[in-house]
Amino acid sequence: MKIFWIKLINVILIVFLLCEYNHVIKYREQKENIDRLDAELVKSKSLSASHEENKQEVPLYTNGTYEGEGKGFGGSIKVNVTIQEGMIAGIDIVSADNEDGAYLDAAKGIVEKIISEQSADVDSVSGATFSSAGIKTAVGQALKKAEM
Amino acid sequence: MKKKTLKLHTVMRLVIQAVFFILMPSAFTTAFSGIKYIFTHMGAREYLEFTSFLSVLTVLCLYTVIFGRFFCGFACAFGSFGDWIHGLYIVICKKIKKKPVQIDVKWKKRLSWIKYIVLSVIIVLCFEQIYGKMSGWNPWVVFSMIRSGNTNFDSYILGVVILIIIIIGMAVCERFFCLFLCPMGAVFSILPVLPVFALHRKRNECINGCNACGNKCPSGIGLPDADGTLSEDVYTGDCFMCQKCMDICPKENIKKGKGFLWKGNEIWFILFRAVLLAVLLIYAGI
Repeated sequence: MKIFWIKLINVILIVFLLCEYNHVIKYREQKENIDRLDAELVKSKSLSASHEENKQEVPLYTNGTYEGEGKGFGGSIKVNVTIQEGMIAGIDIVSADNEDGAYLDAAKGIVEKIISEQSADVDSVSGATFSSAGIKTAVGQALKKAEM
Repeated sequence: MKKKTLKLHTVMRLVIQAVFFILMPSAFTTAFSGIKYIFTHMGAREYLEFTSFLSVLTVLCLYTVIFGRFFCGFACAFGSFGDWIHGLYIVICKKIKKKPVQIDVKWKKRLSWIKYIVLSVIIVLCFEQIYGKMSGWNPWVVFSMIRSGNTNFDSYILGVVILIIIIIGMAVCERFFCLFLCPMGAVFSILPVLPVFALHRKRNECINGCNACGNKCPSGIGLPDADGTLSEDVYTGDCFMCQKCMDICPKENIKKGKGFLWKGNEIWFILFRAVLLAVLLIYAGI
């Protein structure tokens, strides 16, 4: 019985520590966000004059919806990439039949990264390497079609 | 327990293991990915999001706190795989009239500490952001690949070798991996198990010289002390609720929670726990 109480206290301590860790990290991230937004505000004010030059660096895609396919862990993953105003606006995972539920869920995080970086050349999701690599390949294939 | 009922229990366990193997064969690695996720993100000083890895891990740990390591004994695909390999070995031994290898209980207890070292090493590697580059070693990934028909083992040669060694171990020693190497098992061992469903034995009602429970137990959890309490072993992390001891005891002496509620290895209770576990895991995101 003593062992039970010792284990219980251990687990409670661990969970408590993890929550505290999360609190601290969230606080730090918010501080970093505030600092970064301040810096961007200053930068954009001084860059608004040269806005036209920056536009040419964004790769242009033709508007529309394009299909792409890539190999995930257990089979193929099909995606539909939507291009609006020349940029990647949305990515839909049409089919991913042979991927395990939790892994596919985690791999979907790569969609956000691709849209914010406007490129399929992003890091895979750690812990769901195969599935996220499959999504990456599929999006890359779709983007190639959109590059015409 | 009557021979017919014993056979029914054995068949039932086999069927439940097979159903979980088909329905959710990656439950064990999904839950462990939750552990790896926590430490990888802590090492990178990132916020911990409640991903589906973590929800599966949490559900499984809560279930284990209440019912003990029922998951290990009935639902883990890797554990079931080990049981079947060992069963095959025993059958082959019978056919060629050779005695199967017996591992001394003392060694089982000593070597069972290795899994905590395995867990610690993996945690440190995750924290230092090195683990991701080492996935070629992971025998679980190789197992999942074989199971889903993917045979591109180019970057997983080490994993294949380790898996082969594990298979040989599982053949000669029941639950070899679970006892000595499983890092998820190490995590489960740290969890407190509610006394209401942990095993208890009445030592004073045992038949003199009988060691049926000790002989059957894959973890080598032996007889209780003279005063009747199994002391540490009842709450030991190494019981995976296979219930072989309960089934074999000639005096039906082993009960869950001291027989407070019911005996504990009834058919309906086994089915109830299996169904509940499956439902919870699906809900958690498998």
